[in-house]
Order: sequence, then C-alpha cells, then structure tokens
Amino acid sequence: MTSGIGARVLRKEDDRHLRGRGQFVGDIKLPGLREVAFLRSPVAHARIKRIVVPEELRGKVFTAADLEGVKAIRAVSALPGFKPSEQPVLASGKVRYVGELVAACVAPSRAEAEDLAERVEVEFEELPVVADMLAARAEGAPLVHEQWGDNVYLETFVKGDIATAAASAPVKVTREFRTARQCMSPLEGKGVVASWEPRRDQLVVYTSTQQPHIVRTGLSECLGIDHGKIRVIAPDVGGGFGFKGILCPEEVAVAYLARRLGRPLRWIEDRREQLIATANCREHHYVITAYADREGKLLALDAEATVDAGAYSAYPFSACLEAAQVASILPGPYDFPAYQCRTWSIASNKPPILPYRGVARTGVCFAMELILDAIAREIGREPHEVRQKNLVRPEQMPFENVTKKHFDSGDYPECLRRAVTAIDLEGVRARQKRGEADGRRIGVGFSIFCEQAAHGTSVYAGWGIPMVPGHEQATARLTPDGGLELRLGIQSHGQGLETTLAQVANEVLGVAIDRVNVVHGDTEYTPYSTGTWGSRCMVMAGGAVARACQEMKKRVLAIGAKMLQASLDEVKLAGGEVVGPAGSVSLAEVARTWYLRPQDLPADVDPGGLEVTTGYKPVRDSGTFSYAAHAAVVAVDTELGAVEILDYVVVEDGGVLVNPMIVDGQVYGGTAQGVGTALYEEMPFDEAGQPQASTLADYLLPGATEVPAIRIEHMETPSPYSEFGQKGIGEGGAIGPPAAIANAINDALAPLGVEVTETPVTPRRLLAALAAARRSAA
Amino acid sequence: MKAARFAYERPKSLRQAVERLGDGGGFVKLLAGGQTLGPMLNLRLVQPDLLIDVTKLSETTGWSEEAGAILIGACVTHAMIEDGKVPDPTGGILPRVAAGIAYRAVRNRGTIGGSLAHADPAADWLSALAALGAEVVLVGRSAERRVPVAELSTGVFSTVIAEDEVLRAVRIPRLSRHARWGYYKFWRKTGDFAEAIGAALHDPEREAFRLVIGATNGAPLVLDGAALGVSGSALPERIDMAAIGRALDAHGFADDDYGKAVHLVAARRAIERARRT
Amino acid sequence: MSDRSTISLTVNGEPVTAEVEPRQHLADFLREKLLLTGTHLGCEHGVCGACTLMIDGAPARSCITLAVACDGAAVRTIEDFDDDPVMAELRAAFSAEHALQCGYCTPGMLMTARDIVTRLPEADAARIRVELSGNLCRCTGYVGIVNAIQRVLKARAGNPSGA
Ligand SMILES: Cc1cc2nc3c(=O)[nH]c(=O)nc-3n(C[C@H](O)[C@H](O)[C@H](O)COP(=O)(O)OP(=O)(O)OC[C@H]3O[C@@H](n4cnc5c(N)ncnc54)[C@H](O)[C@@H]3O)c2cc1C
Ligand code: FES
Ligand code: FES
Repeated sequence: MTSGIGARVLRKEDDRHLRGRGQFVGDIKLPGLREVAFLRSPVAHARIKRIVVPEELRGKVFTAADLEGVKAIRAVSALPGFKPSEQPVLASGKVRYVGELVAACVAPSRAEAEDLAERVEVEFEELPVVADMLAARAEGAPLVHEQWGDNVYLETFVKGDIATAAASAPVKVTREFRTARQCMSPLEGKGVVASWEPRRDQLVVYTSTQQPHIVRTGLSECLGIDHGKIRVIAPDVGGGFGFKGILCPEEVAVAYLARRLGRPLRWIEDRREQLIATANCREHHYVITAYADREGKLLALDAEATVDAGAYSAYPFSACLEAAQVASILPGPYDFPAYQCRTWSIASNKPPILPYRGVARTGVCFAMELILDAIAREIGREPHEVRQKNLVRPEQMPFENVTKKHFDSGDYPECLRRAVTAIDLEGVRARQKRGEADGRRIGVGFSIFCEQAAHGTSVYAGWGIPMVPGHEQATARLTPDGGLELRLGIQSHGQGLETTLAQVANEVLGVAIDRVNVVHGDTEYTPYSTGTWGSRCMVMAGGAVARACQEMKKRVLAIGAKMLQASLDEVKLAGGEVVGPAGSVSLAEVARTWYLRPQDLPADVDPGGLEVTTGYKPVRDSGTFSYAAHAAVVAVDTELGAVEILDYVVVEDGGVLVNPMIVDGQVYGGTAQGVGTALYEEMPFDEAGQPQASTLADYLLPGATEVPAIRIEHMETPSPYSEFGQKGIGEGGAIGPPAAIANAINDALAPLGVEVTETPVTPRRLLAALAAARRSAA
Repeated sequence: MKAARFAYERPKSLRQAVERLGDGGGFVKLLAGGQTLGPMLNLRLVQPDLLIDVTKLSETTGWSEEAGAILIGACVTHAMIEDGKVPDPTGGILPRVAAGIAYRAVRNRGTIGGSLAHADPAADWLSALAALGAEVVLVGRSAERRVPVAELSTGVFSTVIAEDEVLRAVRIPRLSRHARWGYYKFWRKTGDFAEAIGAALHDPEREAFRLVIGATNGAPLVLDGAALGVSGSALPERIDMAAIGRALDAHGFADDDYGKAVHLVAARRAIERARRT
Repeated sequence: MSDRSTISLTVNGEPVTAEVEPRQHLADFLREKLLLTGTHLGCEHGVCGACTLMIDGAPARSCITLAVACDGAAVRTIEDFDDDPVMAELRAAFSAEHALQCGYCTPGMLMTARDIVTRLPEADAARIRVELSGNLCRCTGYVGIVNAIQRVLKARAGNPSGA
C-alpha cells in the first residue's frame, strides 16, 4: 500500500494522545515554577483612579507601573484611514472591556495566585459604555479611544455602478442580517510557560499558539529583546481555529515577569477567562439590497457591513482584516456585474476579535445565501434554481469575479446539483406535503460558497497588517541512518501535519513515513513562518516540503550515482533506493556514506550534502479556491422553537486530497462548529458591557447529539497553481452550516411568514419571530 | 479557576454531622457528590470555611421500606437509581428521570439529596419528586421532620432546610398500578439543565392529579386537580390550559412571553404523555 | 480545622499517601503532585468531560471531585490503560476512524467510550451519541468517535469473549 499523496494513512500523532502522553502547555512543569493569575477588570469602561496593592504583596503582584520598558501591543494596517489602537499589556489609565488585565499575581500555586488577586483593590471611575456596534457607529456615542473622535477603526468603500440595475431591476430584495459574537472555544485554552535561561541568556516561552514565529516577533517588539534571545515553542496544542493566532497581553506579561523574577512562570487560561476575557469572533451586521431579474439572475448587489472588532486591534491580524475580507468576498461564487459595498470596523467595550475558522466567510455566506433564498421566495422558484442562474460556470475558469477574486478551478454548478440529489430534495418536498405526525415542520436549505485559501503576499500586502506571508520554507535533512527530518515553521494543532507532510516526503523520496520526523512549532529549529492559519499549510508547507525533497532527491541521486559508479542519467530513485544499471544503494547507505565515510566519495561531491532548506510559493499567490455545497434538512418544533437537524450533506471540492481521512475530519469538525454558530453559540453582552456567558453551561457548544451524522461527497478538481493540485480546505466546514440551516428553517416556516435573519437561531429568537409573524398576519 | 481555602471533615455519624453543623464555626456547608458544589467552589461563587462530607454515612447511603413507601438515602447517586440498584416504588419512573440528569460521569457521583437540597429550579428531582408526592426527611439537633418536596423550595437555590439540618432521606410513596405519569423536559442540549419542565401524575387510587411546572424563576409551580378542575378516576380530554397560563402569570411569567410559552408547552406535553401511558 | 489533610488512596494500582489542601480537586492533585498529566482540564465546572477518569471503576469528573474526598478510593487515569484489552481495541479504533485531532479531549473521551463498551454492549449509534453528550470535542464533529465505538462494539459482539 502506498503512503504517499492520496493515501488514507493513519496518523503518526495518534498514539501519544491515546495513551495520555501528549504534552500540552499546562503539562509543562519546570523546577521552581510559579503560577500566575490575573486580576481582570470587572467593568467595561472606566478610568483607573487607584490600584491598592497591600504592602505584604509587593514582589508578588505587578501592575502596569511595574512593567518597565514594555511596549503596548500595536496591530496596524496600511489601509488608508486606519486608526491604530495601543493595547496595554496591563491596563494603565483606562480599562476598555470586562476582563482586561489589571494586575499579574504570582504564587506557588494557581489557587494561591487567585487568593492574591482577591486582595488587590482597584478604584474605578466608570465611564459610559458602548457595547453594541451600531450604537458605537452612531454620532455622539461614548468613545473607546477618545483621541480618535469616533469609534471607527476603518471605513472602506468599494464603489460600483449599481445605479442602472437599481433603476430597472424588476426584483429588489432588502434584508438586514446579524451574526452573534462567538467564542472559538478550543477545548484547551491559551497558556504560557516562560523562563529566562541564563546559560543561553535567552527567554524560553512555551505557548499554546498557532504561530510561534509571529509570537516571537511580537514579544521581541513589546519587550525590546532581540529575536535571538527569544525562543518560542508550541508544544501539543489543543485546538486553535484562529483563537491561538494572536499575541496576547498575558504572553507578554508572563514573559517579562519570568525574566524579571528570574524564575519560570506559568499562566493557564481557565474557561471563564476564555469566555469572558479573551478574544471573540464573528460579530457582523449587514444591510443588503439585491437586484435581480424575474428568473433570479442577479443584476447588482448593494451592501453595508459592520464588524464589531472590540476594544483593541489584535496582533497580528488587526481589527480590519475581517471587514476588509467582507468587502472583497461578499459576491461569493456568483457571477454578476455590479457591486457596491461599504464596511465599518468598529471599536466597542468588548474583547478584541480574531479571525475564526472561515473568518469573514461564514458571515458573508450567511448573508449572501439568505438573500438568494429571499429572492427565490420572491419569484417563486426553488432556491437551487436561482443559484444555478448565478454560479460561476466551469468553462469560465480561471475566473475573475466582480471584486477581482481569481477563481482557480472547479465546477460549482455540478457541486450544487450533487447536493440537491444527495439530500433528496424531491423526497423532502413530498414529505413536506404529507406533514409530520408529531406536528413539526420540515424544511430543506442549501448554501454554496468558496474558500479562498493559502492566499499570499499579493493579497495581504494590500491590507498592510503586521504580518504578510511570503515564501514558506522547509528544511529537509537525511539522517545517517536514512531517516528524514523535516523542519517547518508552521504548527500542527490537530490537523495531522506530522502525518500529511510525511506523506508528501514519501511521495517524492519514497522514504517510509514512519522514518520521517516532522519538527515544527519551535523557533529554535525551524525556518521562519507566519504559522498555521488561513488553510494554508497543505498548500504552502506541503509545497515547501515537496520542493525541499525534490532538491534532496537530486543530491541523493548524485551521491548514489557516485557510489554505484554510474552516470547521473543512469540512476533513479525507486522504493527508497537509488537504482543504477548494475545494482542499488539504499537511502541509509547514501546517508551513511555522506556523513561518516566521505572518503568513499569523490572530491567534487556537492558540499551542500543531505541538508536542504528551500522556499515555496505557488505560481500564483491569489489563493486556491476550494468550494462546497451544504444541504440541511431540519424539523422545527414551532411550539418550543426547537430545531433538529435530520440530515446534513456536504459536497466538497478540495482539489487533490493528500489524505482523504484527514480532509474528512476537517470537514466534519468544521461543520460541527458551523452547527454551533447556527443554533447554539452566542457570547451576549448586556448594556453595561458585561458578558452574559461565563461557563459552558451558558455558552453552549454542540455535543454528540447536537451534531448530525454528516455525510460527505467529494469532487477533486486540481488547482492549477499548487504543487500537486491540492487546495486549502481547513475552514470550509465552518462556513456553510449557518446559511444552510437558517435557509432550511426559513423553508420550513415560510408558510407561516417567518424568516430568520440572525444567528444563532435559538428557541427564544424563533418563538419571537413566530409571534411577530402571527401579529402581523392578524 | 480554583476554589478559595476551606477545611474538610468527614464525620463518622449523622449525629456528629448535625452537631458539627450547629457548632457555628464560620460558614459551614455539607458536601455530597460535589457535582454542584464543585463548580461553585471552583468559580468561587461560594467560599465556605468548612465542608462536611456526608457521603460515607450509613444513614444517608442506604434505603428502607415503610408502609406504602420507600425511603432512599440522601447520598444515593443518580446512577444507582438509573441502574435500578435501589428499589423503585414508581414502576420505572425514577430510573427514567435519573437517566435524564446530566451525564453518566456526573450521575455516578451526584446524589438525590444534594440535588434537592441545592434546589436549582431547573433540576429534575425537585419537579419530578414534587409531582410524585415525595417527602424529604430532615434531621436537626433536636428532632427529625418531614417536608413534602412540593414545599421544600422557597425560591432559587433556597429551601426550608435549616442551617443545622441534614437532609437524610427521601420518602417516595408507592404508586398504584393505575398511576399514569408524564414528564417533559425541554432542554437546549442533551444533559443540560432544563429550560422548562412539566411533570404530571394521575393516580386515581390515591389522589386525582398533580401537575408540577419546573425550571421556573423560583420554586416549582405545583397545581393539584382542584386547581385545574380534574377530579375522578379518568384524566379528562381537556385540561384548562388557560388556568395553567394564569397560574404561570402569577408565578412570575406575566412579562416573559418566551418563558410562559415553553412552560405551557412542557406542561401540556407532560399531561399528554400521562394520558398516553 | 486544618487546611491540610492526609489521604490514602490507590492511583493506577499503586498506593499513595499524600498531604493535600482540601480545596485541591482530584485533577490538580494528579497533574501537579503525581505528574499524571494525561487527565486534562477543559472547563473545571463539570461540563466538558476532558477530565473524566475512573473512580472505583466508574467514570467521574476529576475537576469537581475533591482529592480529599477520594481517601480510600481507587483512581485510574489514562496512563493506566496501556495494557487494558478494551482500551487497546478502542485505541486502534480511534486511530482507524480518525476519532481524534488535537487529542485534548481524547483521554476523557476514551474513559467514556470504555464505559459505553463495557456497560452498554447493545448501544446503537443514537445511544452512543447520548452517552457521549457529556464529553465535548471541538475538533472531530464526533463522527469518527461514534464510528470508533461502534466498530469496537461490533467486533466484541462477534467475539463475546473479547479476546
Ligand atoms: C454538567 C452538569 C450538568 C448537570 N445537569 C443536571 C440536570 O440536567 N438536571 C439536574 O437535576 N441536575 C443536573 N446537574 C446537577 C447534578 O444533578 C448534581 O449532582 C446535583 O444537583 C447535586 O448533587 P450533589 O450530590 O453533587 O450535591 P453537592 O454538590 O455535594 O451539594 C449541593 C448542595 O446541596 C447541599 N447538600 C448536599 N447534600 C445535602 C444533604 N444531605 N443535606 C442538606 N444539604 C445537602 C450542599 O451543601 C450544597 O449546597 C448537573 C451537574 C453538572 C455538573
Ligand atoms: S474539566 Fe472537568 S468537566 Fe471540564
Ligand atoms: S480532538 Fe480536539 S477536542 Fe477532541
């Protein structure tokens, strides 16, 4: 059985986790370790009048005044008009959201550190709070950052010629949509262990991150310490989804104090901190008008989008990434001529937001797919028929849409057709006519979207955020026993990259995957990388590994040929051996000869030897476009507002799949998260900016009974731009469900005149919508 | 998220526990399965000086029979009831209710007495046992008393249990063969606390009818046959839902459309289930 | 009243006597004192199931169980199941069905899975899902986990001795 590209290889990383031998940051204990607990602001907006640290707690409790030479975190954007924020490591002068760090407390145990935090008194002068993005946008709103004069990080406007369509389109549909603020909720929270190591004169930081190199750069900037004196290690990371794509003030504070106190410190985020105080995501508001003809063909789209980015611009993705993405991707996989979009990135007295799996695409897909269904209802067509009128067609590929997104390949209409068949639309329609014995209402809904992934320099440079991805590099090293080490700056936190990157190496070099050792997540041993985000790893790191292994192959062949006394064109690599006309040598023999018996090689051998570092960038860095159609059948209990998902289908095209099992896992997991977005997850705040969900009993994550038995079908259209035709697909699962599920609910409730336009669709929201529909019918 | 400091004792007898409770040494709490207290301690929502563990006492861990009823020790776990390890005087109702509480790992430690004493309005036993006509046995320094579960709770997390009393056991009456039962728990997620609970018992041989609506903003709402015009040996085809609605209004739901709606539905579905059994 | 107590229990078959602060939960006792870090903490309020382990043979939440209340108990953590035949089958099935990604939920998930396999040999997919509802996984969407448990149940049904 092959274990190269396309093979369903079982994961190398499983065994340690199945025996409880994984090593997460909270498992790391260094001699002399002290624990840190943070005192956090109990109020959303206030001036700090006074912090009273009892005398006997000096040397154990630290406030902003103690952080000598520590700079605030700044995540800027080069987009014109962007207003940067200064995120203090510990609050000074003012607090801007509930949970902002006020003091760091150090003790032998976490419990004792929390005891200390209870003894610090802070006097606040409370300020008016702005906890809602639309209120924050309005004239005269309280100011999160006074010097700005308003609460707008950035306003953008994509102008388009929509006037003609607006004047003449026979169908005009306007809707307002909202997606709730969420907490990404990886099962493991953030965490840091930092120590200053005198021997290397170096700060060593273990942190639960997706981006060790970026954290190192951020620490270097905030602490004023050379990169060379900072080593960042990401051990096993218990899920990320974007939540761990950040430099947190906690990391900076703990790193600084570890050096200052000369002893190892540890902070492990607990669930309450994660829910109320660390970064959130997904909070969008849209007002969209779509213009169409009577067949449902889109003529123009006019949109306004607001994103609540919270109190600070988070490092490195900044407060404007989300809204900037909205403007450029709202048109989705549809081909229509006129588009206009205005966006606002808004500051509010809430935690910063970060890009969550799917980033802006989930909100965008929700808005766009619900608008298309509204058009379909307006003209009395099946929603999939309206989509077919508008989808980009395979013969148009590569295709540039109205916002100049460059679609690489694929057959979107076919993808949707398959979803319609797989969900048995006709069967559902027949069932709807019959009605349900239990009185519930059945509905079916679709969504289709594209997932631009692994987009690089040309896309990010325009946004000018602190981190623009360039080439991804990999080091390949053959060890003297014929094993292969791969070193990469990305970080695997569940994606199985230790396995899939080994598969890539196996494909090129034929080395058995259990002889491949993937080294990642440690700045000391790996080439610089922006890390694991944006579904970029398989395209970028996979491409880099392929390139490094191809170069390695040349060198192996050269040495092998010399050993076999053959010419270079007489040898080839097969089955992990260099095969010549009259014999063969194994990789191990080649490696042993290079490292330990150089006397057997001629003098003109390539001194680069068996260690290769090389970089990779796809031929076009505008990104690979995976896409998928999601279809859901739901049953709605109109008395309780409860929704059950009866069936769920995903038809996905992720290009060439390196490991189909792992790809399915990404789709299942993403879809489960999308179910959470659609029906359960919400981080509400009251008017005083107090978060209303502080435990997992209030912030509902879908469990095994809430997630349906998802069915997946694959298409495999290679990307013309990536190394093997692979595409990034890590996020797609999380994009489609809110739209498909809400459309299914709306399909079920259309006869009652109910249309939901906000996530999550909770019983409370649904019953309110039903009651409103009854009232307006009466 | 770690608990504040406290001390811990595990007395040898119920008497000792009761005496220790009354000693007045600061803020003392009883500890049973810890499945509610544990989270509250970790979140520092409660900061006692002393915990008294009552789970290993012979008086709280067994069961016994009395005329027309079974007495289940307060520290019997939900899982033991689910698995039928204690006698069930209700013909299968108790195990079914137990199985719907939280998750198996929680049921393995959480106790029937701890659940009642905590009096979370959304808890299952409080509503179910009130509908079943159960009583709690409370032991104080000087006396033992019995209180109907229907009268145990006085509001959210509050009960008639005195500071120096221990809930020793729950007395559950034996239902007649003709008893009919309906229980409806509306939850957002499996294992989650309820948004609304309806529990209906119709036992023609004992008393006509009792309806309990739980997961309210206070004590469960207990309505008997008289309040709903149900009498005699048959459950009427129509129950006066408007009367239940008025009772809910008076129970704090007058300005809560959502709460009133889901509680009414839970009540009606419980009654329908009782009718169908 | 003292704020330290001495407890004696067995952990993974070994007798342990230790002084503990009453406020320390069992998970912290195991992780911080005995350095058994296979038991994970995901919420510390009883909801997520990451900390699930065996106390006296039954799965329990170690984050809301006080170490001091485990005096006399027999505790088993994931580290003790290397040679357990049921767990060996589950490990193989979890890997084959891709029932783990980041691995953070995995030790607790395996404890619950083992409880399902031993207590409910007849469980179908729907029952498995209900029984799993107290163990959150943020990565897998549960598909692989449900399949893995079904795979083990099927194999055992065909081979009741479990050998
Ligand atoms: C994730 C999760 C989900 C849950 N879901 C549900 C659910 O769906 N339905 C439900 O009903 N419950 C649910 N529970 C609660 C669970 O049933 C608890 O076990 C129960 O409520 C408390 O029982 P305990 O024995 O653990 O009590 P403890 O936590 O030990 O004590 C609870 C309170 O009762 C007091 N107390 C305990 N025993 C006595 C006694 N004998 N006499 C006087 N006072 C006493 C204690 O001092 C404390 O104040 C859930 C719990 C968790 C963690
Ligand atoms: S950590 Fe114990 S249940 Fe979540
Ligand atoms: S594998 Fe990551 S939480 Fe389950």
